[in-house]
Amino acid sequence: MQTLVSLSNDLASAVERAARAVVTVHARPRLPSTGIVWRSGLVVTAEHTVRLESDLRVTWTDGQSAPATLVARDPGTDLAVLRVVESGRPAAELGDSGALRTGHLALAVGYGPRASWGVISATGGAWRTWRGGDVDRLLRVDLVLYPGFSGGPLVDASGAVVGLVTSGLSRQLELAVPATTVSRVVDELVSRGRVSRGYLGVGLQPVALTEAFKRLAPGAGLGLMVVSLEPEGPAARAGLLLGDVLTALEGTPLHDPGDVTAAIAGRPVDSNVRVSLIRGGSPLDVSVTVGERPSRKR
Amino acid sequence: MDGTETPQALASDLAAVARRLRQSTVEVRAMERAIGSGIIWGGEGLIVTCAHVLRGDGRASGAPMVRLADGRLLRAAVLACDRRADLAVVRVDAQDLPAASIGDSDCLRAGELVLAFGHPWGLVGAVVTGVVHAASGPEAPTGSPWIRADLRLAPGHSGGPMTDARGRVVGVNTMIAGGLALAVPSRVAGALVERCRAR
Repeated sequence: MQTLVSLSNDLASAVERAARAVVTVHARPRLPSTGIVWRSGLVVTAEHTVRLESDLRVTWTDGQSAPATLVARDPGTDLAVLRVVESGRPAAELGDSGALRTGHLALAVGYGPRASWGVISATGGAWRTWRGGDVDRLLRVDLVLYPGFSGGPLVDASGAVVGLVTSGLSRQLELAVPATTVSRVVDELVSRGRVSRGYLGVGLQPVALTEAFKRLAPGAGLGLMVVSLEPEGPAARAGLLLGDVLTALEGTPLHDPGDVTAAIAGRPVDSNVRVSLIRGGSPLDVSVTVGERPSRKR
Repeated sequence: MDGTETPQALASDLAAVARRLRQSTVEVRAMERAIGSGIIWGGEGLIVTCAHVLRGDGRASGAPMVRLADGRLLRAAVLACDRRADLAVVRVDAQDLPAASIGDSDCLRAGELVLAFGHPWGLVGAVVTGVVHAASGPEAPTGSPWIRADLRLAPGHSGGPMTDARGRVVGVNTMIAGGLALAVPSRVAGALVERCRAR
């Protein structure tokens, strides 16, 4: 009986430990969401739950409440950072999200505190969300995210915070943003107010290459035809034209418009990238200066 | 910690708790079709179940039948039926029943393990595991009259025991709300049993 009882005590203690840094975030009408004190005076929550821009409040589990201001948001990773005046509150104790393996016990903690338990159901490599954000590691969890849980911590069996759970990154799957990604995004949001992503400003359509084209671009897979150009965008300024067929980026053959997004988003703004293309039946290399993706209009 | 011993110890602990609680969990039938569960409470043949398992006030619809874990089918007399609390106490004419041990429903911590027993969809002796969703008890900030658990109940669990990791009854399974399992605290059920005994 002792093993089961000690597991039970460990789980309850894990919830208590994590709950010290858990707050209720009042940033939308009706249903509040959950936030985590990530660092002293900084609360992280799920971006999609922040609907108000002013009069934000957070409440600790002991019932004490404090006003909060929105520092910045990154819809790409569904993270928002709030600043609270209240100091002296403990920040979350972070665990090693890289050490999580499929089958590990995990808990999600919502404001209250409330608990939900399950296991890590799948892990994977870096991935890009449907909103364009880069997440260091895929963490899929098998637990119920009850209403208001978004923005709350994913907690390992010891009570260390290893991620942030949100329903905003997938309709079907329960996902968590790993703690490493949260820390990186918080750094960028606090220092620069946004997460900048590389950007070319082109719309691309995959096209099959004829034999003649393949001779011009050896090793090319599919071609990506430029079907739209952002006026004054990085690609337009570099001289790309509608109808150009992109075949490679820095010498790497392209197969899918996603290849371009993946390669460019991670590049520093203002760096140069060599784009190989076919124009008017002849191959051509163009150097494009990567721009910064404009923030989405809300 | 050893990589294989702990999971094995967990499994055998779980099996031991389940074996014990199955003996104290009964099937309650009222009006032919309604099947729920019940908890053997004390040694005098008292059984706690949900009022909605008995339907109506439990008197007009004929005597409910109780099937024990050993297969005996007994006619039960309804002693109390509190529809507001969704609790009922019935008595069967048997003295030697394996009573469940009763725990303290007032000091549950969020995240602690809970187990639920009963007969979901008529499946006899099933066990499900979960955790306490939010702390309950007089000092808890939630103000919910029920124990709320992150645990999957199904029709037929009603009236069955919800226990802590030691197998002590902390609640009576009553309903599913918003995906959560709700149970009437054992303190409330214990008070109703005491009133029946006092009569």
